[in-house]
Amino acid sequence: MRGLLVAACASVTVLLAGCAHPAAEDPIQPLPPAEGRVNSGLGPEARPLSSGPGYKGSPSWSLGGDRVAFIVDGYVVDRTVDGEQLTRWTTKDFVAAEAEWTADGTLTMLGGAGAVEGKPGAVYRTDSKEGSLGVEKMAEDVLAMTPGPEHKDVVLALEAGADESAVALLRAGRMERVYTGTVPGTVTAVSPSPDGDRVALAVRTPGESRSGELHVFDLRSGEARKISELEDDRSILGAPQWTERGIYFVAGAMSSPADDGEPLYDLYRTEPEPGEPEPAPGVGEDFVAGGARVSPEGDRLAVVGRLNSKSPLNLYVLNLTTGNFDAVTTNEDMEIKTGADDLAWSPAGTSVAIVARGTSSGEPEVRAAPADELLDAFYNLYEVPITTPEPPEAPR
Amino acid sequence: MRDAALWAAGAALAFLLTAGAFLFLANLATGSSAEDLPATPARGKPGPALDLDLNRDRLASLEPAPDQELLLTVENAGGKDFSNVNLTLESSSEDTANPRSRYYRRTLRDLKAGENVEVGFLLNLSEQPQASGAPTAPDERSEILEIRATTPEGVSVIRTAILPL
Repeated sequence: MRGLLVAACASVTVLLAGCAHPAAEDPIQPLPPAEGRVNSGLGPEARPLSSGPGYKGSPSWSLGGDRVAFIVDGYVVDRTVDGEQLTRWTTKDFVAAEAEWTADGTLTMLGGAGAVEGKPGAVYRTDSKEGSLGVEKMAEDVLAMTPGPEHKDVVLALEAGADESAVALLRAGRMERVYTGTVPGTVTAVSPSPDGDRVALAVRTPGESRSGELHVFDLRSGEARKISELEDDRSILGAPQWTERGIYFVAGAMSSPADDGEPLYDLYRTEPEPGEPEPAPGVGEDFVAGGARVSPEGDRLAVVGRLNSKSPLNLYVLNLTTGNFDAVTTNEDMEIKTGADDLAWSPAGTSVAIVARGTSSGEPEVRAAPADELLDAFYNLYEVPITTPEPPEAPR
Repeated sequence: MRDAALWAAGAALAFLLTAGAFLFLANLATGSSAEDLPATPARGKPGPALDLDLNRDRLASLEPAPDQELLLTVENAGGKDFSNVNLTLESSSEDTANPRSRYYRRTLRDLKAGENVEVGFLLNLSEQPQASGAPTAPDERSEILEIRATTPEGVSVIRTAILPL
């Protein structure tokens, strides 16, 4: 009888040991549907920050880096980077051209139908209470705006007359200062110096339809001076980017109809002193630049552009210290928006938000997912991590 | 000899007991195949037996005008009949600031296993004034048709058609 018991126990032990699942063989979760995956050309670690229909743009990271605000079809929303919680901050009939987080946790927006057409608009501030769609108007006749380096102040360029512009400073939602010194012409874009004491201005001179001048405005003295004037009908695209290595800006002229009418813009660099701009070193003479943004540390420049006029659009980072110019994405079939305000660095300088969609065939498409889950069918925001190679170790 | 017989009998008994226990546990873990169908299917997850076929040529023939007929084929590709198939179609603009959405509904009765039926929707795809002066995409705005088919048995399928009208 004892033999029978021993045999039974041994058999049970052998069977249990043989049938037990090791921890490594847990069931593998099914892959998400193809519609939910990011196009591989944006990089293996790129992740969507939005989905579904809507014309999106003007991404802006909160100072903590945990939220990204952007404009959808004119109204302003923000999304938590990790939690996918979406908050709308304005009514849907609001028309915003630009939205920026400020240090007090509110969004400052340049809006109005005129603002999206390059005419003066108004600056509004969102209600700090989340979920409120109320906005407060803070300034009118605003041509352009930019937050200061720490986002405590917002610098405004104001229309001061028929071909004259003024500069003003907003702080904590109040008009802190309106400078008496004016700028001849119409300011079309503004960006701060790394120390926040000065701003670079792109200026359209009287009688011109292009922004062909670069000015520097000193916020301490209230004085402005012209530092560059572009020739050959070239126009400055978007805001100049004031870095630790000078002022970079994108400029060019519309190409001829024989070149498919696509503008051919180049990246330039100049010192913040009067002088002639030079082609930005390191990017290659065939590079076609779109939007550009300086990193929070001021040492790198993110640029959306093409290596040459036939190349696909990609995101590049120019290291201003080493001169390295690296492709961050290897996209071939996405249209990355090249608007001057369509990319933004995270506050830590570890990723860049871009706006892209799949190339449209112009034919009807059918997808096996709800519209609000689709990614590349519409313009959507993506967070693209920026890895900075470690500098080579110095020989001992 | 007797010990050997006892060993053999004991081993066989233990094997049967253990195999039975594992069979019981495995059945508890998986349940029957009929219970695999979720009561409320996840959004966007196509059901196993229902399919919607949207013909591209027919989609391409739609115009931004009223009275546009969209024909689609509903197919029961499974082995069981469906008593009802509820079809809902939402037509909306790619412009999310445009509050206009139009909804259409059809119900199919008794869709047999293996059967496919063509269903028509008469859509109003006339252009709506832009909701605001907000900047728009550089090319034509699209019309979005989101079509859902569901059955009381919990089977569902969804298709989203994007029409560059």
